[in-house]
Amino acid sequence: MSDTSSMIEIRNLYKSYGDIEVIKGVDLSVNQGEVVVILGPSGSGKSTVLRCINRLEEITSGSIVVDGYDLYAKETDINYVRSEAGMVFQQFNLFPHLSVLQNITIGLIKVRKMDKAEADKIALSLLDKVGLPDKATSYPDQLSGGQKQRVAIARSLAMSPKVILFDEPTSALDPELVGEVLDVMKKLADEGMTMVVVTHEMGFAREVADRVIFIADGVIQEEEAPDEFFSNPKHPRLKDFLGKL
Amino acid sequence: MAFQFKPSVMLETLPLLAEGLELTIYITLLGLVFGFLIGTVAGLGRLSQNRFNRSISSIYIEIIRGTPMIVQALFLYFGVPLISGVRINPITAGVITIAVNSGAYIAEIVRGAVQSIDAGQFEAGRSIGLTHNQTMLSIIWPQAFRRMIPPLGNQFIISLKDTSLLTVIGVAELTRSGQEIVAVNFRSFEVYLTVAIVYLCMTLSIAKALRWYEKKLMARSSR
Repeated sequence: MSDTSSMIEIRNLYKSYGDIEVIKGVDLSVNQGEVVVILGPSGSGKSTVLRCINRLEEITSGSIVVDGYDLYAKETDINYVRSEAGMVFQQFNLFPHLSVLQNITIGLIKVRKMDKAEADKIALSLLDKVGLPDKATSYPDQLSGGQKQRVAIARSLAMSPKVILFDEPTSALDPELVGEVLDVMKKLADEGMTMVVVTHEMGFAREVADRVIFIADGVIQEEEAPDEFFSNPKHPRLKDFLGKL
Repeated sequence: MAFQFKPSVMLETLPLLAEGLELTIYITLLGLVFGFLIGTVAGLGRLSQNRFNRSISSIYIEIIRGTPMIVQALFLYFGVPLISGVRINPITAGVITIAVNSGAYIAEIVRGAVQSIDAGQFEAGRSIGLTHNQTMLSIIWPQAFRRMIPPLGNQFIISLKDTSLLTVIGVAELTRSGQEIVAVNFRSFEVYLTVAIVYLCMTLSIAKALRWYEKKLMARSSR
């Protein structure tokens, strides 16, 4: 669809909740295959930016184009765009009434209209990929946090998304479970998946990101390659933020 | 002359109550089936994005909850035909009364259950590309339904007992049958005790059946 290598184009994004303006003019483009990590203090608006990218939040003004589709154009089928832009949530949001396998296949069956046998096959191979080949018949309640998040990643991968949005994917995990989720994310990055990741994991940002963005007070304060970002922070807010960690 | 309790009267009464019992079950079942349909529509209506749907549902719920069912039955059976010109039979009026009345309470049960589902479930459904309706149907409803079962059981029991109020429009249900037997043998103690026990058996059965169903649903998944 798109003729450039740009996957996400955000222009002049503003977002208010009532009188409170949380995003105050954000411009951001993410290229195909790029891993962009968004850092920032809590309440800075970083999750809001992410949620605007698949229209879980309605923007106040500005424009967002994902894989060539303008999210707010009348002719855009938002359900289609969402199926192309996977989302991984802090709280996993697995469907508790469905088995692990059904969690992964529901999108294939209902959105992609695939038959069950084919969907099951894809789901099983994805479970294998995230290291949970024996959990197909389990229910979300029977999994640890790290396993849940890996199933959630498999669920979004099932739709063969062009980009995956990660909203603090490891923040709700016990420290010893963070690694297994980050490993899966690294694997995806290595395979060339376009990823936008809101996180507090500095190690991940340093090691995996192509670009690190610092958002504070609703605007992008700094945007650099990780080496430069961490070794030579320029903005006082960022220095302060990195100093606190 | 002291009152003498005759248990044998209770045994004699029981078969005479059979027809009334049958009618009570019939009205309750039919009333609740329609009540559940009405309640689901009205409950989802209250959660609708559309203001008109929201107002209509709210008005219905408030009017029905705010007036006694016995008045609703009298109004429907004696009042409405004066305007519509069509007389309906007492049983139909009874079924409609139970349906419309329980519908209002079930609507609130539905609304509460749907609202109790975490917003993240809806977002997760939408984020894999499911439409609003698909998300409601496949993600939200099955989880909400599970939470509805205990309060629904409560409502079923209330509606079953409320059918006794339909005596005022001449429905020959269980309570009315009892009254008719008493009019003949004057054994109020034994007859009404029997009637009460029959109601109790039914309400206990409903409670038990729903607990069983809840367990069965829970066994199918772990939550």
